[in-house]
Amino acid sequence: MSASAPVVNGATSRDLVAQPSWWARLAPYRHEMALAVLLVVLFVAAAIVSPSFLDLTTQRALLSHDWELAMLTLPMMLIILTGGIDLSVGATMALASVVFGLAFTRTGSVGVAVAAALGTGVVCGGLNGLCITRFKVHPLIVTLATLSAYRGIAEGMSLGQSVSGFPASFSQIATMTVAGIPLLGGLYLIFALMLAFKLARTPVGAWLVAMGYNETAARFAAVRVDRLKVALYTYSGLMAGAAAIFFAARRNTAKADVGMGMELDVITAVVLGGTSIFGGRGTVIGTVLGFLLLHESREWMSWAFDYDELNLILVGVLLIASVLLQRVLSGRSGRRA
Amino acid sequence: MIAELWLGTLRDVAVNAVPTIIVACGLTLVVVTREIDISVGSAMGVLATVLGLLVSPARFGMSLWVGIAAVLVLGAVIGLVNGALVVWGKVPSIIVTLGTLTALQGVNALLLHGEQITQLPSALRYLGVGRIAGIPVSLYLTAIVVIGTMLLATRTALGRRLYAVGSQPDAARLAGLSEVRLKLFVFAFTGVLVGVATLASVSQIAVIEPNLGRGFELVVVTAVLVGGTSIHGGRGSVVGAAIAAIVLEGVRTTLILLRLGESATYWERAIQGAFILIAVLIDLLVRSRRATVRRA
Amino acid sequence: MVAIPRNNAEGGAGDGVRAGVGRGLEVDGLAKSYGGVHALSGVSLAVRPGQVHALVGENGAGKSTLIKIISGVVSPDAGAVSMNGTPIPLGHVTLSQQAGVATIHQESTAFPDLNAIDNLFVGREQGMRRGGLLLDRRRMREQTIAALAELGEHVDVDRPLAELPLASRQMIAIARALSQQCTVLILDEPTASLSEPEGEALFRAMQTLRMRGIGMLYVSHRLAEIFALSDVTTVLRDGQVVAHRPTAEFTEASLIQSMVGREIAPLVPKSAHDTVHDTPSDGATTVTPPARDEPMLLVTGLTREPAFRDITLQVRPGEVVGLAGLVGAGRSEVARAVFGIDRQTRGEVRVAGQTLTPGSVPEAVAAGVALVPEDRQHLGLVLPMSVRENLLLVVLRRLAKFWIRPRAIERTLVQELSASLAIRPAGPDLRADALSGGNQQKVVLGKWLATKPRVLVLDEPTRGVDVGAKAELYRLIRQLAGEGMATLLISSDLPEILALSDRVLVMRQGMLAGELPRAEATEERILALAMPADIALRERVAS
Repeated sequence: MSASAPVVNGATSRDLVAQPSWWARLAPYRHEMALAVLLVVLFVAAAIVSPSFLDLTTQRALLSHDWELAMLTLPMMLIILTGGIDLSVGATMALASVVFGLAFTRTGSVGVAVAAALGTGVVCGGLNGLCITRFKVHPLIVTLATLSAYRGIAEGMSLGQSVSGFPASFSQIATMTVAGIPLLGGLYLIFALMLAFKLARTPVGAWLVAMGYNETAARFAAVRVDRLKVALYTYSGLMAGAAAIFFAARRNTAKADVGMGMELDVITAVVLGGTSIFGGRGTVIGTVLGFLLLHESREWMSWAFDYDELNLILVGVLLIASVLLQRVLSGRSGRRA
Repeated sequence: MIAELWLGTLRDVAVNAVPTIIVACGLTLVVVTREIDISVGSAMGVLATVLGLLVSPARFGMSLWVGIAAVLVLGAVIGLVNGALVVWGKVPSIIVTLGTLTALQGVNALLLHGEQITQLPSALRYLGVGRIAGIPVSLYLTAIVVIGTMLLATRTALGRRLYAVGSQPDAARLAGLSEVRLKLFVFAFTGVLVGVATLASVSQIAVIEPNLGRGFELVVVTAVLVGGTSIHGGRGSVVGAAIAAIVLEGVRTTLILLRLGESATYWERAIQGAFILIAVLIDLLVRSRRATVRRA
Repeated sequence: MVAIPRNNAEGGAGDGVRAGVGRGLEVDGLAKSYGGVHALSGVSLAVRPGQVHALVGENGAGKSTLIKIISGVVSPDAGAVSMNGTPIPLGHVTLSQQAGVATIHQESTAFPDLNAIDNLFVGREQGMRRGGLLLDRRRMREQTIAALAELGEHVDVDRPLAELPLASRQMIAIARALSQQCTVLILDEPTASLSEPEGEALFRAMQTLRMRGIGMLYVSHRLAEIFALSDVTTVLRDGQVVAHRPTAEFTEASLIQSMVGREIAPLVPKSAHDTVHDTPSDGATTVTPPARDEPMLLVTGLTREPAFRDITLQVRPGEVVGLAGLVGAGRSEVARAVFGIDRQTRGEVRVAGQTLTPGSVPEAVAAGVALVPEDRQHLGLVLPMSVRENLLLVVLRRLAKFWIRPRAIERTLVQELSASLAIRPAGPDLRADALSGGNQQKVVLGKWLATKPRVLVLDEPTRGVDVGAKAELYRLIRQLAGEGMATLLISSDLPEILALSDRVLVMRQGMLAGELPRAEATEERILALAMPADIALRERVAS
């Protein structure tokens, strides 16, 4: 039987069975390595042109207003990995923010407000998941609709007003540091690590990848596709609720126009990070790098060139370019899984 | 008297819906080919800015015709860029137009620097406030666009091919249809229509400011979906989208008239979202009914 | 029913045929291999104008590959195709169409959202424009109605195709082919999903085409139709032409013999493992019969319209029950309902006495059901994932300790499965799409064996699998049966069914047509049960 032996980077199948060279083992992570290189290039350029940018305190301050974005990239990565999309994260965040404000105004308790915000996120996300699995509507359309609906409800409930005056004990979580690491940043890293672990070392990772590559085959393999989808969108909603809470702590305000355009940034970061828009391929490390690259390049643009508007152009171009890049890379990839 | 009031309101509603209707014509065809374009709002913003910069006496003060030509050509270019990335870059249209949406927002901000353009030639205003035989000029324009697009969709070979490509891309390929040319056309066509809508919109509002066009794409997509176009392609009605646009605008006006005051506009978005969901559910029902028929 | 005059003219060189004109479609020495498996080798045939040329052969014999090459979907490795003496450039669908080849597939490739008029004219609107731009819809409408009427079809030409019955859609596809001035029309199992009256309407339409001088290549499993309609029959077996004669020179028996005749012995080795089911004439069997009384799989009154109705069957532990039938009989649909991918509308499925909830795959799998699907590449495997991940996909949760995947245990399992199934090449990190068809099938099987199932449903397990791997799979199936596995084997490969099954069930048009115990099962009997109302049709059609 003449089965063709695929040749990968000069290695024959025999080599693959024995000890794959370190280069061959890294091959599937080409995108992530490219990101790391780009990040280094960016830092080098910054060091040359505007070294104050790389100052640690500066970096910490700049990062402090993007933790919400970072948190949202994690569930979005999972959703895009399975071939879906969630355009409603910004709107969910807005609704959760409004609910947070209202709950605090009514009860005076931060604890209740936090629970309410998280609960709102869960309900919003769960509703998305339900429409997608039960009514079998395309995620693009569902989240386009809820994008309007949730934001609209937020605006209707708040009537354009915002809530502030949260207790200092609450606001300080935004600036608190633990051993030099900002609390929110630390939370993000912990979540990212947990997610990476979950994907690599639990069955869920394989299920999600299978769903992303071939949902029907996954169903044939007894993967509980619908349940997982609902869980993912609910998780996304939950994180949006958490993002609203972070925002309230940081900016001391809860209102309906938070998170405008957030979904675009989140999707850009995730796609930039190497997660394929078609599903099946994506890593946590890539998403982290994608977030960092997006954040740093945006901040540096403002810092060095004082042109905020260029940010938007950059993000738009980055989004399209990263998908194009993915196509080019995957077209030439070897046969390793 | 009542009739007059009624017709007057209807006319006002229709006039307000003009930009939406015009772009919805093009977007219907885009969705029919199984693509989407959410960059139309930002595109309108940029085109309005370019128009203002070119023709305002306070800026470059060029002839209105130059401004009109620039807007239409630029609109087509934006559409072609979208289309090219979709058919040659093979990037999904949701991503492409999400990207151009953002990039154009940035370009617009760059051009305007947060300022406004208020001085506009009076000839431009004619489009917005002028009337022929008692009916606003913009309505004539809209009618031409709607009828023209409808004829294109139902009575030309090109139009039928668009529906074919959206209905069954594989069969379309086998029939020798060029997906590349067809899709490039719909995106460019939509871009030109955005230009036309920009002209109508600016002539009505008479102020060009950074927020122009914000959220516009959502209204247009809602009108397209509610008007009976299937997100799965192959089915769609230009006239339906136009009517839906008027209905949506009517709902908005009703909310205001009912004296809900400020809050009316706040609930508008929520209602839009609800409309989209309803439209999609209806589409779902139609598709499942067809599936039952086929199985019988 | 109009008698169909026969046209047996073969048109050799000395037949007074002028070079070029009127020779029809000529296929010469076509060959195509897919990764080591010869789908076609040295295939030659001719379809003359006004002639109905039947193409028969079992699944996997190469019919669909041949059609794909002629219609331009696929390029051959060798060989040529010409129309009336002019060679056709291969591998381009539009070029084949321009040369006059039109194809009607089983699921018509038409536009479901467009109506009949558009389906007929899209892509070829020349001459229909008024004033150079707008289409003359009235004229298009008239022509569409006329074209369909010529074929005996009178549907509402304004309704979208999705709302019309399949038979009408096929007619519209044929009308489109005709309007494209085709010289040769290929019909790929056109009656597979049609009812009898719809089928007869099709045959009448074919008569019209014949009178117009159009040659037809007619692919079908239904022997009755072959005998009723065709002038010449070509039999393909294992990618080669094994017979090519005027249809009248065949009998049903000789035709079936050509289709299936091959040595069975090498594929089912008589070894120690195989002592369970020696031929009865042997007398003394040395192993106790495995079939105990309680069935492992019990299906009662299973219904899912329109695919199948009132299916009642049982499979006992250690038994291999073969499920035979023509394409479209509903066998795969039954398998899917048993497995839980589809939900039945009536009836129940019981495994070891436990009733399964309809439509729940996890429940079926937990109860011990496994399905190796027909489409291994799209349903059985996740191709871009590695062999290892594919093998483990179903059992991941079972193996996990406190939700963590145990690397060592997984590695051992993968090694065991690879070794016992002889999956080659042996690298578990290879992507699944790097393997040959036979090895891919082993991965699918391995994935399910890892779940230690009690009921194994196999749907066309050896399709597209080379001879060596086939033998291994047969041995494996018998071995599993010997160990107590209840197996439901769906196959269109009749020798395979006969070699492996203890009992053969035959489905016909969604219902069970009959059951044959091993001793009484022959290919002829199976085909006779599988074919719909053949005798009446044959008598009506015979001149």
